[in-house]
Parts: sequence; structure tokens; C-alpha cells
Amino acid sequence: MIEPLQTALIVGALVLALVTGVYVALDRSPDRVLIALLGVLELGLLVQAVAGIAQLIGGSNDPGITFVGYLLAVLVVLPLGLLWSLGERSRGATAVLIVALLTVAFLVLRLVQIHAAA
Amino acid sequence: MPQPDVRSTSTGLGRVLVATYAVFALAATARSAVQLLTRASEAPLAYSLSGVAAVVYVLATLGLAEVGPRPRTMAWAAVVFELVGVLTVGTLTVLDPELFPDATVWSAYGQGYGYLPLVLPFLGIGWLVHTRDRE
Repeated sequence: MIEPLQTALIVGALVLALVTGVYVALDRSPDRVLIALLGVLELGLLVQAVAGIAQLIGGSNDPGITFVGYLLAVLVVLPLGLLWSLGERSRGATAVLIVALLTVAFLVLRLVQIHAAA
Repeated sequence: MPQPDVRSTSTGLGRVLVATYAVFALAATARSAVQLLTRASEAPLAYSLSGVAAVVYVLATLGLAEVGPRPRTMAWAAVVFELVGVLTVGTLTVLDPELFPDATVWSAYGQGYGYLPLVLPFLGIGWLVHTRDRE
């Protein structure tokens, strides 16, 4: 597991959650900049999934089904959150992204823990 | 921005609530699936309970998101069941930690999930009351 990537993903998700909080405070809907930043984070998660699964196939220690489950589950959070968020223009709808981003940060943290325990 | 319809449970703040319930639905479903598929015989009661919790979260999410024929009824049933579940399982696990050998979402009032499982049903019920049709 590439630890610097996990650190970057967690910090990135938390910073984006803060940025989204500013959007909510200003009553602004997600714009292209915010959506592009979410895209970059999602790309990082994709790299993590590919690297993680490649490592499993490479046959290093085997954290098993839970590990792969987390690697894949974290991929769907941002797209689903964004879809649900863009379905409406309101503060609450924008705040959905904060829930999604905090979930991503938590899932990546759990991934690191699972990997360390294995 | 225009104010969303106050009687809908899936608009405005309700969207955040639905998103939070969806996260728990996903987490509880994944957790119980892994538990039941890999080691069902170790702690059948705890793992069945995880499965029940997962179903409750899924129904609450769908109900609050206004999916299905009678979403409000479904949401009410799910959040009340959720409240009873987290209080019962929480109390039992605090009184007798040996009762469930492995953790569920509701063990020790959802301690493993930052007590969110305890807070969530109150938010759900509060939101259903808030958005009630007052005719």
C-alpha cells in the first residue's frame, strides 16, 4: 500500500469538505471548479484501487475480502453523492457533498488500519 | 435559491439526512454481508442483527428519499424500529458485553460509529415531524 497516497487522499477529502462548507455558508451551488476538484480526488481513489488490487495479485500479505470491499466501495461514494447533490439547488443539497467527502476520508482511514492489521 | 417544499422529506436539509442514512445503509449492508458470508456460524445472533440493521437503514433511506408507494409510512416504521433497536441492543451490550461476541452497528449505542447510530433516529423522527402535513 502506498502510504503517501492515502495521506494525500485523506487530507484532500477533508480540505474539500471544508471548501464545500464555505460554499454552503455562502449559499453557492457546486460549480465547475468544485466538481473538477472532486474529479481529481476520485482519480486518486481510482489509482489507490488499482494499486491496492495489483498488490493483492502480486501476492504480498492478504487482507482479503474486506480490504477489496473498502477499495471498491470508496469509489462509488463521490459519484453517488454528487448525483444526489446536483438533483436540487439548495444549501442542503450542497452539504450532501460534505457527507460524501467525510465518508471518503473515513473509508480511506479504515483502509489504512485494515492494511496495517493484516 | 428558492425554498424547497417544506413537506417533502428529501429536499433541503432532508437531502443531507438521506445521504447520511445512505452511508449507514451501505456500511451496514457491506458489514453484514461480509460477516454472514465469511463467518456466519461464529456469532449467528450478532450477525443476524447486523443484517436486520442493514435492512432498516436501507428502508429508512428509501423512505426519506421518497422512493416507493408509501415512503412516509416506511420511513416512520424504519426510524422507530431503528430507535428501539439501538436502545435495546445498546442497553443489552452495555449491561452484558458477552451477549454478542462480535460487534454490530448498534453495540454500545453505536460507539464504534461515533454514536451516530444513536443520534440518527432522533434526527429522522425530528425531520418526519418537521415535514408533517399540517392540514
